[in-house]
Amino acid sequence: MECLRKIRWSELLPAATPISPAAALISAAALLASCQVSSIHSEPSPVDVYKEDPVAVSRGGAIFRSVCSGYCHQTTPTTGDALFLFDCSWKHGGSDQEIFQTITTGVPDTRMIGFADNLPEGYADTWRIIAWLRTRSQCDDLNP
Amino acid sequence: MKYAAIIFMGLAMSVVTEFTESAEGPGAEYEIPQAPTHWLATGNKGGGSGPVTQEKLNASHTAKSSWLHYYGDYRGYRHSAIDNITPQTVGNLEFAWGMAAGTQGPFETSPVVYDGIMYVTTSYNRLIAVNPGSGEVIWRYDYQNPEDLRICCGPNNRGVAIGGDLVVMGTLDAKLLAFHRLTGALVWETVITPYQRGFSVTGAPLIANGRVYIGVGGGEYGIRGFFDAYDLATGERLWRHYTIPTDGEPGVETWAGESYRIGGSPTWNTGTYDPETDTIFWATGNPGPDWNGDDREGDNLYSDSLLAVDPETGELKWYFQFTPHDIWDYDGNTQIILLDVEVNGEMVKVVGHADRNGYYYLINRENGSYILAEPYVAEINWATIDETGRPVVRPGAIPTGTHTDRVCPGHAGGMNAAYTGAYNPNTGLYYVNSIESCEIIEKGMAIFIEGSTYLGGSFQSVDAEAGTGYGDLVAIDASSGEVAWRHREANGLLSGVVSTEGGVLFTGTVDGRFLALDAATGEVSWEKRVGSIVRGQPIVYEYEGDSYVAIATGGSNGVEFFTGGFSSMPDNTYLFVFRLGN
Repeated sequence: MECLRKIRWSELLPAATPISPAAALISAAALLASCQVSSIHSEPSPVDVYKEDPVAVSRGGAIFRSVCSGYCHQTTPTTGDALFLFDCSWKHGGSDQEIFQTITTGVPDTRMIGFADNLPEGYADTWRIIAWLRTRSQCDDLNP
Repeated sequence: MKYAAIIFMGLAMSVVTEFTESAEGPGAEYEIPQAPTHWLATGNKGGGSGPVTQEKLNASHTAKSSWLHYYGDYRGYRHSAIDNITPQTVGNLEFAWGMAAGTQGPFETSPVVYDGIMYVTTSYNRLIAVNPGSGEVIWRYDYQNPEDLRICCGPNNRGVAIGGDLVVMGTLDAKLLAFHRLTGALVWETVITPYQRGFSVTGAPLIANGRVYIGVGGGEYGIRGFFDAYDLATGERLWRHYTIPTDGEPGVETWAGESYRIGGSPTWNTGTYDPETDTIFWATGNPGPDWNGDDREGDNLYSDSLLAVDPETGELKWYFQFTPHDIWDYDGNTQIILLDVEVNGEMVKVVGHADRNGYYYLINRENGSYILAEPYVAEINWATIDETGRPVVRPGAIPTGTHTDRVCPGHAGGMNAAYTGAYNPNTGLYYVNSIESCEIIEKGMAIFIEGSTYLGGSFQSVDAEAGTGYGDLVAIDASSGEVAWRHREANGLLSGVVSTEGGVLFTGTVDGRFLALDAATGEVSWEKRVGSIVRGQPIVYEYEGDSYVAIATGGSNGVEFFTGGFSSMPDNTYLFVFRLGN
């Protein structure tokens, strides 16, 4: 809501360009979306905390290997449709918050179904998975 | 030229087009049309053979000009009566025509051919009717799947079933669609079950005596499995056979607690109909979660089982379970072949079955009694089989702590139900492709979320990672289970097999070759590079006096971790057809 108060209608309706009400709504939605992302980015990530907790990291890894690996995300590089998540190449956004968004809402037209807050300990488990992914990053190995 | 579009604005949201002459010249204003999804046939199509009667379905193994069933015939043989394709003549095969599927993902189809039309399904449920001699498109339907499918292993479809004047296809979002075989018009559409709970359909339906039989995928999503019978004429469901018993039913005691409610046991591969015993045989897949059985102590009936049911009522006649309390993902739903073999001096009607667990079984098809189990994979160490047919599991193959030791075969097999074998009655050999790639199974947490993966662990493809996995085309003596010969390839094999009366086998490889082998010896008689992984089911048919071989190619998803496959090869999906002139 803090962000909403900063939006001016002039931002949605450029003076020289006729614009329909529908287009204005789309512009507003886009602005709000970007506002939300920048707002989220400014917050500290729960991952920063979980990464320092070996128990949390271990639990994240256990959930990943139990739910996400198997027929989908392998822990060694593959070329299948389920992306390899340890090479620091993030197709759907690589910030903690973007990864969180991908896990919770899924990716349309792929096999990636959104998990919402359905993991056993809700969003906390989602953040623990991301913390584990961070600790297993092979960026330095793959991109020396 | 333009498309005269008839736009249906209802729920179907499809666009049907017919080819007509254009009345508009260059420069005319127009709106970009909605992409068509359904093209109907124009003019008279087909050869005038009339509807596909039950007599034709029963006698399909004698008909050279058609390929009516996923397995070629009800016996499951995938053996063509065509006798002019021999080890000596196969070298004269020439490229006839090809067709792009236009979709990505495994192209696993087994085309159906009847009355001068071939029916080809692709990944993501396109259905294309073409001339089997030229490839000219007659009609086409692009099903519009939702964007949140529950498909563990790819957007696969393995073919249609044909009966009467209808061609029937299952969809990834768990529907059945029936089309007129000549026009392509959609005749009926039935929702099998809400796909959002983890269901899908990837297998070809089975048609017998006016009923359509279909199974479902979902063994990795915590479903309670079933298979159904539908009225071919109307699409009305006639019965549903659950593959896991519920409260008060025999067998529910083989599931700890309430694990039976989400125990998997899917039915994603096609079964068959036995006119001799008037029985539908359908086999089931793994219990869930795949790799952690702690919450489902017990045998977990009727997962990984061969089921014999009454075709009219769906009632269970008998069952045989191949892998009780499966914790390796050994889906027991590979191909079923119907044989008569001599057992202790008497001819016995049997089912032959090369299970994903690495053993070839003979089961009495009149009463379900166990006859034999012999290993057909080159390396097997997860269990031996006792005199009753029950596995005696090696302790190291059980993930008592966090993981097993190296277990053979790996979770994908052995043979896998995503592809077919073939049986040649002249050689008495059953030819199956096998993945030889052992694995370590890691037991994880059993986390059930409706509509999400329910795996309970994962696997490590240690052989594939080490580059020591390989594949065999195995010739199994169908009466004894002894292996007559093996043809070895560098990678696990994921393609189907077809056999001809002339003594030739056709199959494909992960590194993009289509092979013909001598059915007696396994010697490669001919091969062509098709450029993409082969995961389709080859068929053989005759059209206007010439013999043809068709194979779907392309779609490499997941191959590396299944087989250690060929990852540097470009990937695309194409149907290739070869001709031998008579």
